[in-house]
Amino acid sequence: MKNTFKVKSEGRDILKTLNVVTGRMLDVNMASAHIARHPDTFNVNRIAKQLHPKSLKLRIKKVDVFSEDVKSYILTSAEGRMLPYFKAGQYLTVELKVGSSVLTRPYSLSSSPRDSLSGEYRITVKRVPAGFASGHILDNWQAGDIITAYPPEGTFGYEPLRDAKTVVGVAGGSGITPFISMAEDIASGDSDFNLILLYGARNTREILFKKELDALADKCDKFKVCYVLSDSTSKKYETGFIGADLIKKYAPADEAYSIFVCGPGPMYKFLQSELPKLGLENKYIRFEMSSGRRDLAIEPGYPKDMLEKTFSLTVIDRGSKYETECNSSDSILCALEKAGIAVQARCRSGECGFCRSKIVSGEYFIPQGVDKRRIADARFGYVHPCCAYPLSDIVIKIN
Amino acid sequence: MAEKYDAIVVGAGNGGLVAATKLALEGKKTLLLEKHNIPGGFATSFVRGRFEFEASLHELCGIGPFTPEGGPLKKIFDDLGVSDRIEWVTLDEAFRTMTIDDGSANFDYSLPLGRERFIAKVQEYAPGTEDVCNKLFDLCEVINNGIDFLSSIEDFTSDTLKSIFGEHLSFINIAGYSVNQVFDTLNVPKKVRDIFGGYWCYLGVNLDELNFIHYFTMLHSYVVDGAVIPRTRSHGISCALLDRFEELGGEAWFNSPVRRILVHNNRAYGVLLEDGREILSDYVVCNASPYNAYTKLIDTNEIPKFRIKDLNAKKLAVKGFAVFIGLNRSYEELGLNNHTYFIYNTADTRRQAELMKRRDTNSVQATVCLNTAIPDCSPEGTSVLYMTSIFAGDNSWNDVTAESYVKTKREFADKMITVFEKATGCKIREHIEEIEIAAPVTYAHYTDAPNGTIYGFDASGTDTIVHRIANQAFGKKIDHLYFAGGYTMQCIGFSPSYTTGNLAAEGVLAEMRKEAAAK
Ligand SMILES: Cc1cc2nc3c(=O)[nH]c(=O)nc-3n(C[C@H](O)[C@H](O)[C@H](O)COP(=O)(O)OP(=O)(O)OC[C@H]3O[C@@H](n4cnc5c(N)ncnc54)[C@H](O)[C@@H]3O)c2cc1C
Ligand code: FES
Repeated sequence: MKNTFKVKSEGRDILKTLNVVTGRMLDVNMASAHIARHPDTFNVNRIAKQLHPKSLKLRIKKVDVFSEDVKSYILTSAEGRMLPYFKAGQYLTVELKVGSSVLTRPYSLSSSPRDSLSGEYRITVKRVPAGFASGHILDNWQAGDIITAYPPEGTFGYEPLRDAKTVVGVAGGSGITPFISMAEDIASGDSDFNLILLYGARNTREILFKKELDALADKCDKFKVCYVLSDSTSKKYETGFIGADLIKKYAPADEAYSIFVCGPGPMYKFLQSELPKLGLENKYIRFEMSSGRRDLAIEPGYPKDMLEKTFSLTVIDRGSKYETECNSSDSILCALEKAGIAVQARCRSGECGFCRSKIVSGEYFIPQGVDKRRIADARFGYVHPCCAYPLSDIVIKIN
Repeated sequence: MAEKYDAIVVGAGNGGLVAATKLALEGKKTLLLEKHNIPGGFATSFVRGRFEFEASLHELCGIGPFTPEGGPLKKIFDDLGVSDRIEWVTLDEAFRTMTIDDGSANFDYSLPLGRERFIAKVQEYAPGTEDVCNKLFDLCEVINNGIDFLSSIEDFTSDTLKSIFGEHLSFINIAGYSVNQVFDTLNVPKKVRDIFGGYWCYLGVNLDELNFIHYFTMLHSYVVDGAVIPRTRSHGISCALLDRFEELGGEAWFNSPVRRILVHNNRAYGVLLEDGREILSDYVVCNASPYNAYTKLIDTNEIPKFRIKDLNAKKLAVKGFAVFIGLNRSYEELGLNNHTYFIYNTADTRRQAELMKRRDTNSVQATVCLNTAIPDCSPEGTSVLYMTSIFAGDNSWNDVTAESYVKTKREFADKMITVFEKATGCKIREHIEEIEIAAPVTYAHYTDAPNGTIYGFDASGTDTIVHRIANQAFGKKIDHLYFAGGYTMQCIGFSPSYTTGNLAAEGVLAEMRKEAAAK
């Protein structure tokens, strides 16, 4: 620009610019000398703290015994605080100390979100044969005990902007838990969708929450339940395994529906071959994560000569270094827990990312379908140790 | 006693990562502390189903793909040795900007990047405005020269003064004015204002109040120098910086929240971690917001009065809201042809700022379809869309409770989808395969942002970028404490926060040299 640019006039412009310093100083001088409002007092920060506390101390208020192998635990705050509200279908992570191990396990909340407002959560634990944590909980947790837990997490649940108005829920075993929460949420009017629940069990004795489910179905016409028994025949119930035909029989014939699945591994395997027959789009099919023990011997792509080996595991944690070891059949997370090294973990299924850590050196195996890492994480050597198994000595940075 | 560091960097956001890497590069024993388990702060991503969503970055300026020598941020990344770890994708399009509530005056303009192409396209919408467009871009050059000159001053002599009131007088004349004041002087026609004003939601200050220099340096760096995005989301940049930092011998601790920045006799000397550990250092660079630093991290008795008053003379900027959507159709099938959509209620930015105070009146969104730039950023036959809105006013979202929160945010996300479909004619609703919603509460949770702001302090009133730069030397500060990030001198944005990280490290290094020389 050849000529000097003026906005108003030379004099006024320069004054305006000088005022940048004097004007600011004036404002600063006039401002209060008392420290500004603490950020935690803003409404949105307060809600953030309420919904996502770092951890929860919960008291076991009551134990409902279905059998020696299945119990429900009613939990309340041991700190007199409000329990974080949650979305029906989410899980609570509980922390356990078993011997020298420090570990966590996720359990879907089997209570309604509304119950959390009156101060209660409920989880329901089923014994896993040879399982490590479930047995410990069932055999040790008593009313009055105080446990540590981490606030509700997880993406399994109804999302009206995404899912069809009708959901066919497929539950097996302890996989019934998130559906109870969803059904309660519908019945109380907090969720608005139709839930048709197909609940598979071996026999009538293995059906959990039957009374509760039947009562919900009676009082709410948006919820229906159908029991499917695999090991016994009865006129009152469907029999066999839950597959495409049964889903078709109960699903709406002339409108879109979503399928939500939560149950044991074999059920997932079976449904993965059955569901394609329904010709639904990917978005209408959602599986809850499954965190059970993996049999690497049958895992596609796993180098079989690595089975039953033991590797050294060097752990870097904020300037400290620990040496321990890792069985090839244990996830790296499990090895850390066995060594009593507390690590951040929630879902144990590769999804939540809480356990994300850097492999400084070493080779590892990630089973198919559970590699939910960010692209850059994979590129820069990060893994989710809950889903990574050692193939050599490992150096890992956990924090 | 535990070992002592040359510097501790509090927070591994953009500013902290660059500051830490620069200090490590200069051989300083540096500890980087982050409360999360990942680096980046806002610069991050997350996975849902088969999609990886970018959390915040729409487009990055400062890399300068259109300029032969590259932009200033490229130089910073080159010097740090991280450029070869990041793959950039150059954008072709500036934005598509539209209004929806102005009736027959509604507009819908699509602009390409590059000065010539931008101006040529403006002519299609507003014929005969080439001169004024050129004038505006020329003014950007005047401003950039002025800034370069001011930042190159080492000794202030009478020659400096002569230059300031000589060849840089235009810059000085313009420094105190807002975008609209300069538009008025140049008699910029309405259509040209609407087009040039497209980016304003990136700064969240209406154009009556937004400083001209602030806005036009940003516009210039996007349109003239070009914009990029990283191929692996902004998380890829964060990982690259951290990787380099650790390679240089820097120590980074995650899941390590800082409870206190330790200050004694007006000098920072270390930090106290949430777990009770005290760690000492000669210097502290704080990437946590100065708001949180002064209200939470530093003992009030140790804070100079001036800093408290200065903080109280600032205003928190707009709050953030974002919807992340994975679609089960390709962007071509859905007609999502633009990278950046700016949708406003109205062209009147002051009125728009008022409408931004309430969920029922606010329809603002800046929406990105990432696949238009990176076609394979999601699986074949799918696409990714992320929509960001902003809320003005301290009290917006005060009506929300823990119980109503999920429903409330879903309702607003629903509205944003409706607005998008109506404005663009693209039908996306029935193709939503994954959706995640971030509200002010999410930002408050994730970054501790006071009141859920995503833009730091409001760059208006007497706290515009020009005010911040002109006043930076004034007032007592805590010695050996430096701030970096989006709340600081260069205001909000990716490029500014990286840049202030670099400046903070330079400040530390200069003072280290000075003190070494004095010994
Ligand atoms: C989202 C989600 C929701 C769930 N909801 C429910 C629910 O509502 N109800 C329910 O009953 N279950 C639920 N589960 C399953 C539950 O989390 C546990 O997986 C289940 O209780 C079995 O745990 P387990 O430790 O007994 O057995 P396993 O699944 O066999 O786990 C054993 C694990 O412990 C490891 N281990 C062995 N020895 C040690 C040691 N010394 N130290 C540390 N680790 C060791 C093993 O390597 C193995 O990984 C849910 C799972 C997920 C992912
Ligand atoms: S614990 Fe969730 S990803 Fe490992």
